[in-house]
Amino acid sequence: MIGPLLTTIAMGGVAALDATPVAQTLLSQPLVTGTLLGFVWGDMPTALRTAVVLQIFAASTQPVGARTPEDYAVGGVVGVGLALALSAPQSFEFARQSAILVGVTGGMLTALLGVRATRWQRGYNEALGRWCEERLRAGASRALAQAHGAGIALTFALGVVMTAAALGLGLWACSDLVVRESLRLSRAWRLAEPLLLGVGLAQILHLFVQRRLLRAALFGAALIGTWLVLMLGGR
Amino acid sequence: MAALRKADLARMAWRSTLLQATWNYERQQGLGWAWSLGPALERVYPDEALRRARLVEHTAYFNTQPTMASLVLGAVAGMEEERAETGAPDAAAVARIKNVLGSTLAALGDRLFWFSLRPFAACLGILGALTGGWPGAAALWLCYNVVHQTVRFMGVGWGYRAGPGVLGESTRGRFQALIRWFSAAGAALVGAVAAMFLVPRGDPAPLVFQAALAAGLTLGLIAARRSRPSPTEYGLGLCILCVIAVWFRG
Repeated sequence: MIGPLLTTIAMGGVAALDATPVAQTLLSQPLVTGTLLGFVWGDMPTALRTAVVLQIFAASTQPVGARTPEDYAVGGVVGVGLALALSAPQSFEFARQSAILVGVTGGMLTALLGVRATRWQRGYNEALGRWCEERLRAGASRALAQAHGAGIALTFALGVVMTAAALGLGLWACSDLVVRESLRLSRAWRLAEPLLLGVGLAQILHLFVQRRLLRAALFGAALIGTWLVLMLGGR
Repeated sequence: MAALRKADLARMAWRSTLLQATWNYERQQGLGWAWSLGPALERVYPDEALRRARLVEHTAYFNTQPTMASLVLGAVAGMEEERAETGAPDAAAVARIKNVLGSTLAALGDRLFWFSLRPFAACLGILGALTGGWPGAAALWLCYNVVHQTVRFMGVGWGYRAGPGVLGESTRGRFQALIRWFSAAGAALVGAVAAMFLVPRGDPAPLVFQAALAAGLTLGLIAARRSRPSPTEYGLGLCILCVIAVWFRG
């Protein structure tokens, strides 16, 4: 379990880098990191079930303007990593479901707490900006490269520390709980999962529709059409 | 003074991947902008002291949607080339055009990348994950990056050739057509994803699941009209409520 745990922690750093400072390729989205973690831990169903819920919420979180969005890059890695680590020693389905509930909750909580970490880092970057301008004026041409190196290193370190801390805390607090209360937690997950999927999908639908009747009609037609195809195809 | 080459534009595009590496509340993308513009300044200002002075000017406040920054970079690189040759436009004019282009492209880029393409790619990925497992993540990543990397790497050239008029009628029209297409297709994808949850693997989900999904959709549509609490806060609240409800039911 140590190998996959260390890989998960490193992935937290990589996801934090991709989210804002480097390239923004969406490698940091929970579905992508979750799938990679599914391969690492050898449990794709648990990884995907956790990642899909977190991905729906991540997709409706917008990094627009100066707003500090929830950190679903680290939150996604922590959520899926926690679910996988907690369900790894379990063989029963209800124990796995309770691990997913803990994973999703832990992922969302980390994403929310990540807002504070991002704000702190952006404050630190202000000092870095002033230092860089001063050095440039003094004739140090490499100041820009050094400032960028420092910004990237700090983001990676912060991502790794946050992932390690959240995973450590989650595993310490919930390992016993998932075993002892797996029946109750799995029942709570069976109730929470559709509610979460519904709330998340509604947020994405709201982004797309924007009070356009045609788009709302397209949503309805696709829902009914796919439902019919699946129902008739299943018989 | 040397003219900008294709290799300089390519280096600018590569460097623009770090546009947000030092994002902060004071200058926002200012440092990243100066870093990205560096290759153009190196080419057109052979004198190191003058180049450093221009670089310092460009560390001032700048903010736009990160992918669309490529277009502004190309346009401003062309202006700096002209400035090095003729002395005009001056620093204030360059800064003004940079900020006007930045804010206009931010409005367009936010709608295209954050409100349309990213949720569209996410829905495509989720649909893929529900039907085929791991290929869903690949679909999400590829779908987003085809558009994102094209604009990022070609955008510098587009901006350089078109200059400050890069956001003309035809470019705006093309981006707006993309926004319309992704929004319409995205709404249909959300419908397909919802149906996949209702009928997983060809068998209808339990009635409780269907009812809870419908309740979640309704709550989500009501919640989407307000910015607070955020969807994540709603999600966390629902998780806690479900645990409490099940706990006390015994």
